[in-house]
Amino acid sequence: MSEFFTSPLFCITLSLAAYCIGCRVRAKTGSALANPLIVAAVLIGAVLFATGTDVEAYYEATDMIRFWIMPATAVLGVAIYKNLTLIRKQWLPVLGGCLVGALTAIGSVVVLAKAFGLERELAVGLAPKSVTMAIATSLSEQHGGLVPITVFGVVLTGVLGAVAAPLLIRLLRIKDPTEAGLAIGASSHAVGTSTAVQLGEIEGAMSGAAIGLVGIFTVLLALALPYVL
Amino acid sequence: MDLLAQIAILLGVCLSGELLASLLPFSFPSSVIAMLLMLLLLATGVLKLRHVEGVTNFLMQNMAFFFVPLCVNILAYLEIISANMVAILVICFVSTFLTFVTTAFTVRGLMKLTRKKGEPDHE
Repeated sequence: MSEFFTSPLFCITLSLAAYCIGCRVRAKTGSALANPLIVAAVLIGAVLFATGTDVEAYYEATDMIRFWIMPATAVLGVAIYKNLTLIRKQWLPVLGGCLVGALTAIGSVVVLAKAFGLERELAVGLAPKSVTMAIATSLSEQHGGLVPITVFGVVLTGVLGAVAAPLLIRLLRIKDPTEAGLAIGASSHAVGTSTAVQLGEIEGAMSGAAIGLVGIFTVLLALALPYVL
Repeated sequence: MDLLAQIAILLGVCLSGELLASLLPFSFPSSVIAMLLMLLLLATGVLKLRHVEGVTNFLMQNMAFFFVPLCVNILAYLEIISANMVAILVICFVSTFLTFVTTAFTVRGLMKLTRKKGEPDHE
């Protein structure tokens, strides 16, 4: 019977069903807190627990889903390309903002992690949390971070930023849509971008561009990680 | 362009990314190389949007789904996460807030700078 619950067919179907339910929940409640990933993970966790299935076995069985993470990252290049004109018009603020954002994101994690005395693999795991999931997990793996921590950090950061964005925009009196979009994308990547898109077209586009740009800068900055952590 | 062909092109770009990554003397995520390669191919016109648009829209719209297994995997590490929960929460909150603020102010400052320099506004 356990072969049934660890078969790719079961696990992938379960994943799809849980994710779709998660999307429905978010659509019905309209809250950024109802992140489909969180809902899906909870549902799947419950089913795995109820059937006595190993999380590891589930993970192995979903190889076909995880395969698409790499291509899904590659298509971010298309998103950047589509916004190339907008980026070129204000290339200095855009590139400068994203660079500072990437620096702050990694820098603040490194400093705080040291202050808390976190183990290296936890610190490295959290370092790329501002970046989109695919790049973050790949970076974390390469530099010896604990990937599940990275996933946790990325989801938490995304939801945090998405929920806090409108408030922060008011607090900081951000008037320019490009400024708003870049700030959102740099700090809370894809989840934040869904909020940015609701705020406006330029905000959404810039947020998307920031994901790619901050991603690239973070990868470059991460090359220094072995020397600081 | 038909979807299967688009997927072939996309995976071809990914494959090239992997190849290039393995040739580099330092470790660099192959997914980022693939992303840059895609941007380059589109910007230079080697690839046109219609060659990748369909599969791109599908993957972008459903991007979160491909991370479901990774999220579930967190459950196997709940112990170590809760042991460091305070640190992790503080780091996430502070870092996200700081990143937002510094990015916004940098953009604001640089925008003022470029306007002062009298760069032509292309609006």
